[in-house]
Amino acid sequence: MDEYPEGSLDNSIPFLLTFGTRTTTEESDSPAATLSHALKDEAILIRSELEPLDSDQARAVLRYIKDRDASNLPCSARDSVPRRYRFRVRSAERSILLPPRRARLPEGYEPPSPTQPLVLHSPYSPLSPISTLYPDGIIDPNWLRKHQYLIPSVLLCFYSLVADPTLSTLCDNQIKTDINNIRALLSQSGYKTRLAVVLLSEHGSSSSHASDGVQERLEIIRRGCGLDSKALFLVPAGGSQEELERVAENMLTTLYAVAIDYYRDLGRHSRKKRSRGVAPQPTVPPTSGTSQTLSLAGWNVRYDFKTAVFAEYRLEMDVALRSYELAYENLLSSELMELIPSWSPRWNEGRLLADTLAVRCLRCLLWNGQHSAAARRWQYHRERLADLVDRRARGTNNYSWEAWEARWAVVMADLIDRAGIAELAPSSQRLYLPPEKSAMGERLQPWELLHHKGYWYRLAATHVQARRAFAHAIPDDHRRSPGDSPATLVAKSAFAYDTYMCPEPYEEYPLRRPGVNHGRIIIDLLTRARDEFLKRNQVRLAAEVSLDCARELAMTEEWQKAVDLLRPLWKDLPFRSEGWTAIAESLTWGLRAAAAQIDDAELVILADWALLSRDFTKRPNWHYDISKALDDVDVSSKPSVSVRDGQFQSFISAAFLFEGEEGRAGQSVRSQLSITSNAQPESAPVVLGSVYLSFHGCLDGIILRHQKSEQPASARGKSIISTVALTRQADGGANTEKSAEDGSGLTLLGSADLTLHPGQSLVFNMEVPLREPGETRADTVTLHVGYDDFDLRQTITLQERGGKSLWHISPSRTKILPRPNPLAVRVLPRPPKMEIRRPVWKEQYYTDEPIDLEFGIENGEDIEALAKLDVVLFGEKPPSFTLSVPGHEDQISSNVRSEEARISAAPIGTIASAQSLPVRLRLPPIDRPSGYDLTLKVTYFLPTNPGTPISQNAVFQLNVVNPFEANYELLPRLHPEQWPSLFDPGNVVIPPAGDDAESQPPPQGISQAWCLVTRYASFAAEPLRVTDVDIVIHPSPAAQYSLTRRTGLPSSGVGRLVPPQTIQEAAFDLVAKKATIDDRGHAPLDVSLVIRWARPGDAKAAGEEGAEPPAPEKINTTTLPIPRFNVFGTEPRVLASVSHHRRRRSGRSKEGEEEEDQEYVGAPFVTLTITIENASTHFLTFGLSMEPSEMFAFSGPKQTTLSLLPVSRRSVRYRLLAVGDEAEGSASGIGQGGKKEEEEDEKKKDGREKQEEEAAGVWVRPALVVRDKYFQKVLRVIPASEGVRAGKEGFEVWLPRLG
Amino acid sequence: MATTIPSIACLGVIGRNNNPLHTSIFPSYDPATNSLRPVRTPLQFSLILSSTLDIFDLRARQNAAAGVGLTGDLGLLHAVDDRLAAYGFETNTGTRFVVVVDMRGRRVDGAAAAAAAQTGAAEGSSKRVAGAATGLREGEMRPVFKAMQAAYIQLMQNPFFEPDEHSPPAGQGGKRITSKKFAEEMRRIGEGWTPGAVSL
Repeated sequence: MDEYPEGSLDNSIPFLLTFGTRTTTEESDSPAATLSHALKDEAILIRSELEPLDSDQARAVLRYIKDRDASNLPCSARDSVPRRYRFRVRSAERSILLPPRRARLPEGYEPPSPTQPLVLHSPYSPLSPISTLYPDGIIDPNWLRKHQYLIPSVLLCFYSLVADPTLSTLCDNQIKTDINNIRALLSQSGYKTRLAVVLLSEHGSSSSHASDGVQERLEIIRRGCGLDSKALFLVPAGGSQEELERVAENMLTTLYAVAIDYYRDLGRHSRKKRSRGVAPQPTVPPTSGTSQTLSLAGWNVRYDFKTAVFAEYRLEMDVALRSYELAYENLLSSELMELIPSWSPRWNEGRLLADTLAVRCLRCLLWNGQHSAAARRWQYHRERLADLVDRRARGTNNYSWEAWEARWAVVMADLIDRAGIAELAPSSQRLYLPPEKSAMGERLQPWELLHHKGYWYRLAATHVQARRAFAHAIPDDHRRSPGDSPATLVAKSAFAYDTYMCPEPYEEYPLRRPGVNHGRIIIDLLTRARDEFLKRNQVRLAAEVSLDCARELAMTEEWQKAVDLLRPLWKDLPFRSEGWTAIAESLTWGLRAAAAQIDDAELVILADWALLSRDFTKRPNWHYDISKALDDVDVSSKPSVSVRDGQFQSFISAAFLFEGEEGRAGQSVRSQLSITSNAQPESAPVVLGSVYLSFHGCLDGIILRHQKSEQPASARGKSIISTVALTRQADGGANTEKSAEDGSGLTLLGSADLTLHPGQSLVFNMEVPLREPGETRADTVTLHVGYDDFDLRQTITLQERGGKSLWHISPSRTKILPRPNPLAVRVLPRPPKMEIRRPVWKEQYYTDEPIDLEFGIENGEDIEALAKLDVVLFGEKPPSFTLSVPGHEDQISSNVRSEEARISAAPIGTIASAQSLPVRLRLPPIDRPSGYDLTLKVTYFLPTNPGTPISQNAVFQLNVVNPFEANYELLPRLHPEQWPSLFDPGNVVIPPAGDDAESQPPPQGISQAWCLVTRYASFAAEPLRVTDVDIVIHPSPAAQYSLTRRTGLPSSGVGRLVPPQTIQEAAFDLVAKKATIDDRGHAPLDVSLVIRWARPGDAKAAGEEGAEPPAPEKINTTTLPIPRFNVFGTEPRVLASVSHHRRRRSGRSKEGEEEEDQEYVGAPFVTLTITIENASTHFLTFGLSMEPSEMFAFSGPKQTTLSLLPVSRRSVRYRLLAVGDEAEGSASGIGQGGKKEEEEDEKKKDGREKQEEEAAGVWVRPALVVRDKYFQKVLRVIPASEGVRAGKEGFEVWLPRLG
Repeated sequence: MATTIPSIACLGVIGRNNNPLHTSIFPSYDPATNSLRPVRTPLQFSLILSSTLDIFDLRARQNAAAGVGLTGDLGLLHAVDDRLAAYGFETNTGTRFVVVVDMRGRRVDGAAAAAAAQTGAAEGSSKRVAGAATGLREGEMRPVFKAMQAAYIQLMQNPFFEPDEHSPPAGQGGKRITSKKFAEEMRRIGEGWTPGAVSL
């Protein structure tokens, strides 16, 4: 905007001139504010005779007024502070020069006829020959300047109102004279400048008397000068600042109305002139040139322009806009611009006027807040002019047009700037304004939404670039300065170029010297655009602009600036990581080029390193070799570059995996490091000097050093897998900088071939030893590339790959480790290598046997260990046990609680490596089946790490079960002895006297015989050897028991091997004898079954070992309590017993059958003895009846009566003989109504036995009924010997077969 | 000048991680050669697309503060210059669609348009006529975005398309969309759109 002639685009603001004060600094006014030399001679001088005021008061007022200068205020209607006035303020001391009202005639011009005096016009008018516009110009900025800077609307004269009464009249008169003088001069000048007077009172404002006097004086002065009351102001003396401000504010507001009035007059004048509709004739008819004068259309444009400007002074922007638009359209109409030839200087003046009009239109629109209309107007003007230039002038394809385009964009930016649009301020975070209401809903071009300045500057920059392109296309001939060129050429090219506001081609792009510095202009514009974008956080757009800017800088070879511009972008902006490869590429190449020029080795290396990536397009003829990075760079010292992760995306990527999810301290875990290159396919391989893998946790790092392998690895393969042996870094050895900073940590060293070919992966399998429990995690990989002339270090932070971690199995095969966190390994505590074994445990442990448990504690550690043992036996009422360790005293457990017995921290001494220590645990026999948890805990210390206890636990289940179970049956038997007689006085018991009462007298009561049949079953898991079965009879006071016979015993000594789950039977004959005959109550029988058994293996094992004499079998005794039986009732009972005879009649049934069997052979006779016992003290009579049967024959009473004395017994004998063979078949039909089912039941009961019996004899059921005569009650016959059994319907007797 | 109408110069799909997923460039009418050629280089379009990201961020902040913008249509992001303008749309998964419109991308050969332009130029004050021929209404890009979103949804429905690969949930960057069908669909949308089109 500054390129336009000064004043042409300035805001039109009422001009206030203060007059009569001492100006502190001589105002060196802008050229616009001074008169041109031509006019100076004829200028109208207005001066006052009085001395300029120099009082504080005057200065304060002046300062206040000057501070209110509105020249630089934003031109917008929507001001934050509403203003009541706007002035452009200038000051003069005591004299001013006004431009002449009438131009003089040119030198030596003779008026043609003295009778007709020449009409003189303003020197600014195209009518005056001295004007540059003469004869056919329209208007030029001088006219604008005249009103803006030279002719004030209000002349504000300062005078002092003297307080001294003696001088007051004199001074007042002087003031009057002066004012009148000035007024006269002004009216002579022909300007209608309003005159106003400020009187600075020296009076204090306090005294009313004085103020009365002052009022009077003021009145006198006012009247004396013919001043309007509104044009005279009094500033009281000694007032406060507020008061002064109030007065000044008041004054300016009043003056503003006056000024507006002044401009209204002027505007009215212009309109009047336009409405005349006649083109005025110039003072002197033109003689030179075309002698063409300004047409009426031209005059109309001039008048409209003036009207508009005056309206703008009055802030009537709508009026101004209308007039400007009218002027604009007329100017560009077919009557004006279309007629001006493009070679004429008027053409360019016309264009300038068009621009001025357009700018002023835009300003009016912006003033009114019609932003979209402004943008549209802007575009419209451009299109209009392009059209015009295309048609009428030299077209738009030249540097001049582009220069204008650029300028036009900048103008808009400047206008936006001056308009101070709050909605577009950076703080609003708005990039463009929404369309105003009137334009809403229309089809708008996006550009018509007013964007902020940055966009306009950027647009301008693109046009300057285009301008440069055009300039560079100028042929050399035209670039020579006219002095050097042949005249013909000069003539030819004279009008070939459009030079509207831009230099001639030989200045634009001269041949041998610098011309217009396009680059600088572009950079300047781009920088301004960039600032605007940055203010609004448009970093990416700013980056784009910076990129353009850097390109320009590179073109002008300002490398350092280019680097300064690009480096932050390159480092900070995420183009690369976000995948904007093309942008990143362009950025990097730009930076690389600039950095190489300024010898910034670090940047060059970084850029080259980044450019190796295959993501970028390959640039032909580029070496792609990092080792050659510094070939064209001068370096003073060897640069060392380190690249942080994330700084840029490197072509090298690294991944690390632990194979297992967890490991144990002291063990090692397999891991794999893969380094993949994504370099340009034909780039030189990169040799990594070393790779440092840093860990977090029990390991500090792994360093892999490059070691050139003998056979060059094939560059073809996709990945090269090698296994790297790691050694611990020797402390103080070859100290790298890393080991120094490691401190106490563990760093492992390995070496491998680290030559990385493009597109290849280097895969290293490593065994990483783990030392301490916790989590060990791989953090970063640092690649070090060392060449002779530089060092490069790249850090890559290892990242989880979301369960897609690939483990390279072979160069072509990978597998996925589906672990969420393959970078970390959980290190469990060092595993105890002490093992607790139980080498010989029996299959089952039983009650009542001492349990001897043997454990072996085996030291699997590499070194000896000092160990202690805790043993806990947990269960219900655990027995206390004994621990015996070789070389140590036995320890006995203590019962901590009722369910726990333990031995704590029993020292078991040092166990050498790979040795086993036998430990023996002895438990006493446990008497009931139970289950225990046996926990052994070995706590040991290794001499290498004495502070860390290591413990190993082992839990064993110990179940103790009953080996046997038994059931019992107590069968009555017939006691062979005679019962003692109740009536025998010898049987009377005399109670013993004295202390001997304790000693039992021999029993004298009745006796009974019983047979206790026990069936015991082995519940053991293995065969047990039962050596003895016995019963223990608990003594009872009521009776004396004696064991008379035992049957079913294993053969003595060796015993019998009882396989599991078999039933064994043992029978015991008992004789019970009551202590006295008088005792007729029940007697309890408490018996326990005692089984003595041994594990059959014990003896054998002992025998095999041989070292010791075969230990006697450990005989365990299991006692099974038998439920209590009651013997001796008072009820009578009938006992049936049989005895077998051969050839001889058995006299007495008391003789045992066995005896008889042994003694006699021959036909079996069976004697059935029915014995009735009457244990009561009553006399009882029983009737016996025996029914005959088909099954057997019998001899004996068929029917008889037995009478029994109290406590006595009697027997009846029958001899039985089985009858014939025919009875055999009907064995089932025994007795009356014997049912088949019952038989079958019996069969089932004792199956095999039954069959044997059937072979030898038959069971018959004698229909014998014993009836109590008195009670008429049938007594049950109880089997009381072998050969008799109880059946369902009665007792049955075994009859052997005849023969 | 006035015989040109807007056309789509570039369609861009940008992923959640600000990563470019897809870019389609369409040629514009070049009056100098009277032919169709892209108005910018791919790099420049890339820069234009990338620069919209700032505005997406800005709008997201403004919309979040104001509690508006639930449709995702951000309308005009900015006019790059007097010719190109970028329009944006953001899906609720953070994928952004950018349409770069070339306001002078197509030539219309028609007496009506030429006449309209003529009157517009002649009348002077009634510049609206010219604007009406070339401008765009608010929301005129909605069918384009709708079509793009439909295409994108179709792409997502492909069981072999893994969205996380293209916009990793945590992290940066991502792969570009390589689907031919999607590219074809973009091409269809970009070529088929004309100002005032209601559906694509």
